[in-house]
Amino acid sequence: MNPEELTKLKSLLGRDPNSTEIALMEQLWSEHCSYKSSRFYLKTFSWRNESIVMGVQEWGDAGAFKLDDGTIVVLKLESHNHPSALDPFNGAATGVGGVIRDVISVGARPVALLDMLRVGPITDRRSREILRGVVKGIGFYGNSIGVPVIGGELSFDSSYLNNPLVDVACVGVSTHGLKSKTLRAGQKLVIVGLTGLDGMGGASFASKPLDGQDQRGAIQIADPFSGKIVMDKTLQLMDLVDDIKDLGAGGIGVAILELVGELGAVIDLSRVPLRVKNMTPEQVLVSETQERMIYVIEPSKVEKFCGEFRKVDYACEEIGEVTAESKVTFIFEGKVIASIPNIAVKYRPISRWSVGERREPFVTEYRNSNLEESILSVLKHEDLVSKEWVYSQYDYEVLASTIIRPGWADASVIRLPNGKFLALKGDANPDLCQWDAFRCAKAIFAEAFRNLSTVGAKPRAAVDHLQFGSPASPGVYRDFIDSVYGLAEASKFFNVPIVGGKVSFYNEDSNGNPIKPTPLVVMAGITERRPPKFQVEAGDSLLLLGFTRGGLGGSLYQKLFGGKWEIPDPILVDDLRASELVSSWVNRGLVRYAKDVGKGGLVGALIPIIKESLGVTIEIDSIIADSTDPRVKLFSESGGRFLLVGDDSIISEAEENGIHCNKIGQITEKRTLRVGDLEIELQEVISSYHSLLEERMN
Amino acid sequence: MIAVIKFPGTTCELETAMALKEAGLRGEIVDHADFDPDRFESVVLPGGFSFGDYLRAGAIAARSESLKKIKEMADSGKKVLGICNGFQILTEAGLLRGALLPNLNGRFLTKWVYLKVVRDDTAITRNLGGRVLFMPIAHAEGRYYGEGDWVQRTIVMTYSSATGEVNEKWNPNGSLWNTAAVANESGNVVGMMPHPERASFPFSRSTDGLQLLRGLGGR
Repeated sequence: MNPEELTKLKSLLGRDPNSTEIALMEQLWSEHCSYKSSRFYLKTFSWRNESIVMGVQEWGDAGAFKLDDGTIVVLKLESHNHPSALDPFNGAATGVGGVIRDVISVGARPVALLDMLRVGPITDRRSREILRGVVKGIGFYGNSIGVPVIGGELSFDSSYLNNPLVDVACVGVSTHGLKSKTLRAGQKLVIVGLTGLDGMGGASFASKPLDGQDQRGAIQIADPFSGKIVMDKTLQLMDLVDDIKDLGAGGIGVAILELVGELGAVIDLSRVPLRVKNMTPEQVLVSETQERMIYVIEPSKVEKFCGEFRKVDYACEEIGEVTAESKVTFIFEGKVIASIPNIAVKYRPISRWSVGERREPFVTEYRNSNLEESILSVLKHEDLVSKEWVYSQYDYEVLASTIIRPGWADASVIRLPNGKFLALKGDANPDLCQWDAFRCAKAIFAEAFRNLSTVGAKPRAAVDHLQFGSPASPGVYRDFIDSVYGLAEASKFFNVPIVGGKVSFYNEDSNGNPIKPTPLVVMAGITERRPPKFQVEAGDSLLLLGFTRGGLGGSLYQKLFGGKWEIPDPILVDDLRASELVSSWVNRGLVRYAKDVGKGGLVGALIPIIKESLGVTIEIDSIIADSTDPRVKLFSESGGRFLLVGDDSIISEAEENGIHCNKIGQITEKRTLRVGDLEIELQEVISSYHSLLEERMN
Repeated sequence: MIAVIKFPGTTCELETAMALKEAGLRGEIVDHADFDPDRFESVVLPGGFSFGDYLRAGAIAARSESLKKIKEMADSGKKVLGICNGFQILTEAGLLRGALLPNLNGRFLTKWVYLKVVRDDTAITRNLGGRVLFMPIAHAEGRYYGEGDWVQRTIVMTYSSATGEVNEKWNPNGSLWNTAAVANESGNVVGMMPHPERASFPFSRSTDGLQLLRGLGGR
């Protein structure tokens, strides 16, 4: 706690705080819990539409939207970056546990997970070790608790060498409303699970850079078997409880303070069931031991509730009650050890940082490469190869509702209990965001929108995660603000509200070098029709929908070969109109292949075809672009474009809508890529696509 | 009525019960501690991580009271099917011979596989001899192993190609002789690593699982 915050705490309490109160408030006022550096700007997301039942205003554990029949879809996205850097297995596994408990906390059943992973270069031994541990941890928790990981992202970049990004999103479904978070005096507060010594001070740990000291005491240990009991019992006993609060960052102390609202509470810490003897009350208060929850229950129902947990030998104890008196009091063995008046509970500090100037347009040295080398470098790039090594370690079929599986298409799809289909996609683009976070944030939102349309889904809501270095750096803080505005603008334009999110600062290495700005969006959409598995064959014509624009700034091509390029300015109306067309074609069965043109440009969009052991001929003159430069035509990542195989009628339908749609080539049996006079053998590309990750990771 | 037994840590009970319904049968999810064998004609042990798979996969569930009851049912000729973790429990409990060892590559593996039915005198494979079925596996400990002349006779389904070729190329986990499912001598107790309930609905990638589950109906 900094000196100003300490002074503020003194004035709010009207006295000197004791050490327990300081420890407690330090957690509550940490960046992680209080959003003190970001809260002001996050209000830019407050816009919502009529289908949103839980938005950013609620500032809750998750966001949610409602379907016509009353089914509610809950979205939650969170990272466990710092824990995963120190203990990849437990760090990632507890991240999954936390995001699942957040979804349960609002009263929904978790039905799917996505994981978005960013680690250091694949050539770096430690980065591979981190990735191995992270994937194993996610699989361990997700598989054991029975929630499928149905998709995600994996990319490699030296920016994440010491600070991997491990983002996990969870989707939940409720057919009978959500829990309200309105408390009444007299309700009992009940904890389930044992409290131990792991995860001490995790919230403040997440709110500073990794300092290279031994911080392993701050790591929580994952126990998915206990998590499964908590999940199953909570879902079974949902009718008995009025409200639920996950014990996440900051432990019991922060959970109670965040829960009470206008009311107060008295908590007897000596009643908290412990895993180890002789814990001090301060330790009980801030421990972040996993697999615990707090429930708000009417007094008459506590016995029945706890009886069900005790049947499976799971600790369940009443530890206090909600009071009308507006203060939160923690008691231990009859003595008050901390007493925080409501005025201090409600106060949230704010950190104001200076905002730097926009970066200069970027120039890197151009490494001359011929077209063949460029094409091969993109086709074989580790970010674009098969991720089967990752997802085969996840039980992506559990619950028997997975429709579009990992690796099948640009978005994943599950069947909902009401017979409709939910599509999900996570998108980020740090290579672009490092040059212009505002344009980039718009571009990733547009990309997620396009991705959902390739499976015929209408996007409904999004959650975001804003991941940066230290806000004390004016350039970093500028990137943060630009990302917020870019996402907010795109969200409003597409009529897809941002219903929740997280901010993670202090992602940097021990020398203070920040990660590339990494805003991330997870978008959810709905379709009535079960999306097909795409099927292509030799002889199929390739159609390119949309207009190709120059500006390779932030593209994979620029990352590989450098050069001075413009940063593309997203034209959202292009994305919206093209996406709506593609979505309608998918739903009318008019396309057999629909791929968003994204990383790697047109060449990148060919990979799902080539991996089927097919070849492609591209007629470069048929690509409609604002440049004759073949590099632009082949590698531009400008938005609003799709690569399609389908019925000829879509060409004229696109033209009628004023959108270019041209036949630009053909799928061939011969496994080569032909561009003009150039013919590139693909056998090696095909085998590297399937085996690169498996070989490098073993 | 078919009992779908839930242990703490079981993950597949809901879709297994729904798949039985899809097969035209009646299944009821029963907590292992409340299981009354007299109410049921047959039993399914669904997949998951019973008791967290601490010790060894299925080891703790195998020593629970409910398994004694299931053994009595099996001895009286009632049908018992163990899927994935349920298969592991049946081998740990001694209702099926052999053991399920960690996959050869040491990792959890989800994969859609083809299965060739090689024994059609069991509860779930009657009239399916020689057929090739398509459904997923998802496990870390599915490498079947046994020693002795009896092994060959227990095998009910083997991992194969789409056209039914059985060789090492189609073996996902290192199982002895590509074994995916085994049964006891009389064929009323069957264990399988693949998940038939995940190939049982009109929206599933395949509905081959129904052909197996239907066998649980009748005597």
